[in-house]
Parts: sequence; structure tokens; C-alpha cells
Amino acid sequence: MGNVLVLDNVRKSFTLGFIPKKRPVLKGISFAVGEGEIFGYLGPNGAGKTSTIKCVLGLIFPDAGTITLFDRSHLEPKAKTSVGFLPENPYFYDYLTAAEFLDFYAQLFGVPKDERAARIGRLLKLVGMEKAARLPLRKFSRGMLQRVGLAQALVNEPSFVILDEPLGGLDPLGRREIRDIILGLKDAGKTVLFTSHILQDIEMICDRVAIVVDGRIRSIGRLADLISENVLFTEVTVSGVDRAELAPLGESLTAQAGRTLLKVYDEERIETVLTLVRERKGKVHALVPRTQTLEDLFVDAVRRS
Amino acid sequence: MRGPTALVLALLLALLAVAGLKHEIDAIPRTAVPGSSLIYVPSGKFLKAATFGYSSFLADVLFVWAIQYYGNPAIKDKFASFEHIFSILAELDPGWVDPYQVAALIAIYDARDVGLALKMYDLGASKNPGQWIFPIEAGHAAQFYLKDYALAKTYYKKAMEIPGAPAIAKRLFANAAFQTMDLKTAWETWSEVFETATDPQIRKIASNHLYRIKASSDIGALKEALRLYRVRYGQWPADLERLARGGYLSSIPKDLDDKDYVYDPRTGEVRTAVIPWKR
Amino acid sequence: MTVKVIALNTFKEAVRDRVLYLLLFFAALAIVLSRVLAVLTVGDRVKVVKDVGLASVSFFGALMAIMIGTGLVYKEIEKRTIFTLVSKPIRRSEFLLGKYLGLVLTLGVMLAAMTVIYLGLVFAHTLRFEARLLLPIAFLFLELILITAVAILFSCFSTPILSSLFALSFYLIGHFSWSLETLIQKTRPGAGRTALQVVYALLPDLENFNVKTEVVHGLPIPASLFLTAAGYSLAYTAFVLLLAVLIFRRRDFV
Repeated sequence: MGNVLVLDNVRKSFTLGFIPKKRPVLKGISFAVGEGEIFGYLGPNGAGKTSTIKCVLGLIFPDAGTITLFDRSHLEPKAKTSVGFLPENPYFYDYLTAAEFLDFYAQLFGVPKDERAARIGRLLKLVGMEKAARLPLRKFSRGMLQRVGLAQALVNEPSFVILDEPLGGLDPLGRREIRDIILGLKDAGKTVLFTSHILQDIEMICDRVAIVVDGRIRSIGRLADLISENVLFTEVTVSGVDRAELAPLGESLTAQAGRTLLKVYDEERIETVLTLVRERKGKVHALVPRTQTLEDLFVDAVRRS
Repeated sequence: MRGPTALVLALLLALLAVAGLKHEIDAIPRTAVPGSSLIYVPSGKFLKAATFGYSSFLADVLFVWAIQYYGNPAIKDKFASFEHIFSILAELDPGWVDPYQVAALIAIYDARDVGLALKMYDLGASKNPGQWIFPIEAGHAAQFYLKDYALAKTYYKKAMEIPGAPAIAKRLFANAAFQTMDLKTAWETWSEVFETATDPQIRKIASNHLYRIKASSDIGALKEALRLYRVRYGQWPADLERLARGGYLSSIPKDLDDKDYVYDPRTGEVRTAVIPWKR
Repeated sequence: MTVKVIALNTFKEAVRDRVLYLLLFFAALAIVLSRVLAVLTVGDRVKVVKDVGLASVSFFGALMAIMIGTGLVYKEIEKRTIFTLVSKPIRRSEFLLGKYLGLVLTLGVMLAAMTVIYLGLVFAHTLRFEARLLLPIAFLFLELILITAVAILFSCFSTPILSSLFALSFYLIGHFSWSLETLIQKTRPGAGRTALQVVYALLPDLENFNVKTEVVHGLPIPASLFLTAAGYSLAYTAFVLLLAVLIFRRRDFV
């Protein structure tokens, strides 16, 4: 199980403006994507997610550092034969129909003619666009374009699929479908790298995650390793007890209609709260232990930088 | 970076090939048909309408073209359409003076056809009756190239009569009249000039001309009388008084300065005592 | 192989561009109007029709090349359709070459259309089909492939409006470079003159492709002229395309 993609200390600055000012975008990105895993590349807007992807694909040329794709230099055309790419907010040739569009890319990859039609049919079915095969792309909605884009990324039956914000612009049903497709890709033995800033999606399907903030990777590793299982605090909702009495036991989050939501950090204190409630003949409405979520990790990483 | 060096080399090679081939092509003789652009000269049909209000622009273009065309020695038989082209120009922009003058110059120096030049001046004059330059230059052409003073005289008269014409027109007219031996008109005109001139120089010139006219007239009369005398007596008279005594002349004229004319009894020549211009 | 795919795709795209048909309409109009011009001039009617017709085909052909060509690469970059292409296993040079050939194919078709109209008009005048008139068309094609390359070059780094201006300037300079020759003859020998000569050798000479005079007046066109002109066109086109590849290869698509 080797690494499909390795980035080593990749740096990139853009010179912008009339008086050229150097704006560093990638400040030394290093990570590796192993074969067969789903790798989530996470970060706030402007962190450099898309720039990293563009470097990998040869759309941008890094100032320093190396990128290795399938043990080859990433710029070799051979390295890309097994790669599929879906850009963010994809734009495609308006005037082509979905089928023609996929046919064009299939031809670029040298898919033989007899195989092409069958493959296009399968792909369209996979992304749920078989009915729109003859519709010109200019008539597609954002979500439809996203799906066709995914089909395009798979047209050469790649072993490594790179998706930039694949779930953007989709409704919850669409998002679930695409998530399922991605999981299906993993089952088929493919490697997936995708960027997102929607944390739930990452949490749901990624094996490993990298958090990039301001051009640097802040956290990288298996999801399970990064997020501790420790209980951070417990949220207790009680009624019938005076707020003043509860105050020393934890943070009072809300108090309405006689109910108080308390954030208790200490495990022993929970016992004290429960005892108090019983004594006062009150009621415990909810008791929820909260573990660290990816969101916490994320916010933490952003705050720290 | 191997890539760019190979590319840059190929680039330089291509550039060399370009320069080399260009040199080759320039060496290939191309038959040019000089003056082939003539076929685009407007024929005059629907002319004003066809120009959509850009007639003066078209006139400019046509004029510039005509200068190139007539300046090109390689073109054979280029004067066949000369009149046509310039009449078109006159149609397009009648008030534009330069084409007529340039046309006349071309006619004189290239075509060596003064008549054609005069036609051009006439064309200009007909379209621009208030322009004195045309009859004046026509007069010059008639006078210097054709030595046709009668023609020059009619032109100068036309010029003279145009309001705003320079004073010299009148003097040229007078001079032409003298050259055609129309002494009466010459005398009258020069007298007018003498009377009306404010510049002492002009007055002097007029006076000299008047002197000359009188001298011409007087000497003419004297010579005629001398001739008759000689016919009668077979020799020239010893002096001019004999002519008066013999009744050949009523009186012996004196020049304008009231001086005597100089007579040489041996040759029968009469001339003025002074050169008119040196008075 | 990839070049062919891109070329055909470009052809499909270009042929759907409405600008092309607008220009074709005007070209047809201009060719037919040469008939009117023939009435208004003193010249031999047939000569005028042939000459002006050819000039119209040349001008509108160049206009088509420029207007479509300058948008070709720029649009792909602007609209980001280039992302999915460059990330595929194709070289950027293959992409450019494909675009170029696709456009040349489109122009070939348009040129054929205009030629049909042109020959039709000449036929209407002379009641003869003059195969000889295909020669200047062939020369025109040589000129067009060069102009197309120039349009694509500018399209790689400049907006369509600026690119069109540059390409049009190239076309005009190309047709007036003979005036530089006149200047050179009048310059005294020295550094200045040599500099001018170098410039003259490198500036495009599009008049090499102009055989209107020969054709209209029935003069012979030497075969060496055609061959050398073809060589010249190919060499210059190669130069322009290589320049385009050089500029394009390390460009960041932000």
C-alpha cells in the first residue's frame, strides 16, 4: 500500500497588483495520501485548499517543493492517466450535451469507440443524470453540473479521484447520493482526495484528514486519532431547582420556562446536581455527554493560527 | 529546464527560416502592371449620389492617387484619361483650387500640352468664377509657353475684372495689349494705372510703359514717314525736320519727357534717347 | 491523437459561433457589391469584380480568423473550462495545437463558402468558370493560417478586444511592409540602415500572398512564388505557435 500522492514542502506565492506585491498562499505544505483511503482536505475559505489541488494537477506551478503522483513527477502526462478531477464550481462547454461532453473527454483519454457509449451510459446512471443525456449543458442547474462533473472525473476509470468541494450546491438528498458514490469508489479500491469546508461530510466518510489554515497544515492524521474520545463536558437539563443553587456546579447555558441547561465539566459534580434535583423534587430532562467534534478541532486550529 | 531551451532554439530557427525565405521571395520578380489602379477611377455615373456625402474626401483620395499616377514614369499612355480624371475631381469638389493648378502643371511639364493646361484653368474658372488665380495663371501659360499675347490678353482682362484681383492683373493686361500692338488699350490702361497707383514704384513703372507706348507709336509714325521719304527721294533724309517740311508728318513728335528721338540718317533708324527703364 | 480530438471539438465550437455567419453574410454582401462598384468606375467591369471580390474574401477571412481566434483560448481560461482539460494527461502544447488546427479547419470551410459565392459572381459576369481564380484563394489560405496563429498567440495572454487590435495591427503592418523597403532605399548605409533591414526581414510581409494583380490582368504566377510563399507562411506560423507555447507552458491558471 504505497502513497498515491506525496507533497513535500510545497510553497507558492502570487504576485498581485499593479505594484507587484508577493502574497504567499502555500507556505510549506507536506502530506501524503495513501492508496485506497478517503482523504479529507479541510480548511476555511482562502486557506489554500484549491491552490494545493491546482498545484497537484499542474494548473499552477509551485515556487518550491516537490509533488509526486504515483511515484512520478506530477507534471508527467503519464502520471495523470489514472487521475480524475472535479474542479470547484465546474464550467463546461455550454453548447455540448451531457453525452457529447463525456464523449469528448473519453476520446481525450483514448477510450475505444465501442467502449465509450457503454461507459458514458454507466457513468450518467451512476450520477443520476441518465435522463439529461441529450440536454445541452447550458441548461443544467448547479447541482446537475456537479453531478455531470463527477461523471467526467470518472470517465477514464481513474484509481485516484480528486474532488474540489464536490458537495457544494447540492441539496441534502444530492449530498447523500454523492457521499454514497464516494464511499462506493473506496469500496472499488480507488483513492479519493476531496476538499470541503462542510465538516459533517468529512466526519462521515473520511479516513484521514488534514486541516490547512493560512497556507500551512495544522493537523493531520486519522480522524479517530485526532479527535479524543474524552468527554469534554456534560449538558444537563433540569427543572425545579433554583438557579442560584445550580450556579456553583457548572455553567448555566440557558434558563427558560423553569428549565435550566447546565454545562458541567466535572464528573463528580454531575452526581451533586442529580442529588440536588432529587432533594428538591425536581426533574432531569436531559443528560448529554459531549465529546470533541471535528468542529471543535477545526475552530481550535483556526483560532490558534 | 530542458523544455524551454529546446523551444527557444526552435523559435530562433523558425525566425531564421522566416528571414531567409523572405529574402528568397523578394528575389522573385513580380510583374507589376503600372497604373492598373486606373480601373477604379470613378466614371462619373451617379457620382455625387454614390459618394454618400463624402465627396470631398473622395476628392482628396482621388487627387493623391492622381499625383502618384501621373508621377509614375513607367505608366504608358497615361494622358488618355487625364481630362476625365480631373473633370471628375472638379465634380467632386469644385471649389478646391489645388487640383486644377497641379493638373495644369502636369499638362505643361509632363504632357507638354499647354492647350490641355489651359483647359484645366478654364475648368477651374468655370467652376469658380470668383477665383482670379485661374485666368492669371492661364494668361501666364499663354504668354510664356505659347507666346500668344492675344490669348494672354483675354485671360488677363478676365482676371482684371474679378473683384479682389491683384493690381498686377491690370498691368499684365496692359503689357499683353502692348505686345499685341493694341496701343490704344495699352495706353489707356497704363494711364489708369499711373493715375490710381499709390506706390511711387508702380507709378514709375507705369510712366515707363507709357513712355514706351508713346515711343512705339511715335517711332512707328516716324518710320512710316521715313519710308515714304525714301521711296520718294531714294535716301534717308538728313534730319527729321525734313519730314515735317515735306508734309509727311504734321509735326515731329517728342518723347514723353519732351525729348527728341535719336535719328541716324545713315541707317534710317529712329530710337529713343533713353532706354525706357533707365529714365 | 489528443490534438485531433481537441481540434475537432474546437471546430464544433467555432462553427456554432454566430459571429462567423454574420461575417459570412457581410462578405457575401461585399462580393456582390463589387458589381455595383464596377458600374461606378471607368475600369473593365470584370477586372473590378475580380479584384474587389478577392479583396473582400481576403479581408473578411482575416476578420473571421481574428474575431474567432482571439476569443478561443481566452474564453477557456476565463470560463475555467480549461481546468478539466489541463488536468488531463495532455501537454499544454497539444492543447494549443489542437485549438489552432480546429480553427484552421473552420476557416477553411468558411473560405470555401466565400469562394463559392465569389466564383458564382464571376461566373455571372463572364459566363465562364475560371479555375485560375482558385490560385489567389490558395494564397489567401496561406495568409489566413498565419493570421490565425497570431490571433491564438494573443488569445493566450490578452483580452479579446486587445488581442483583436494587436492581430489587426499585424494584418495591416503585414500589408504595408513594402513602405519600409522604400524607406530603407532612401537611408544612408550604416547602423540605422542595417537595423531597419533586420526589422524588414522579420516583419510579416503579407503582400507575398497577394497575387491579385497577376490574376486580374492574366499574368503568369511562377510556381516558385507559391512554393516560397507556402514556406514563408509555414515558417512564420511555426514561429508564432512556438512563441505561444513558450508563453503558455508555465502559466498559472488561478
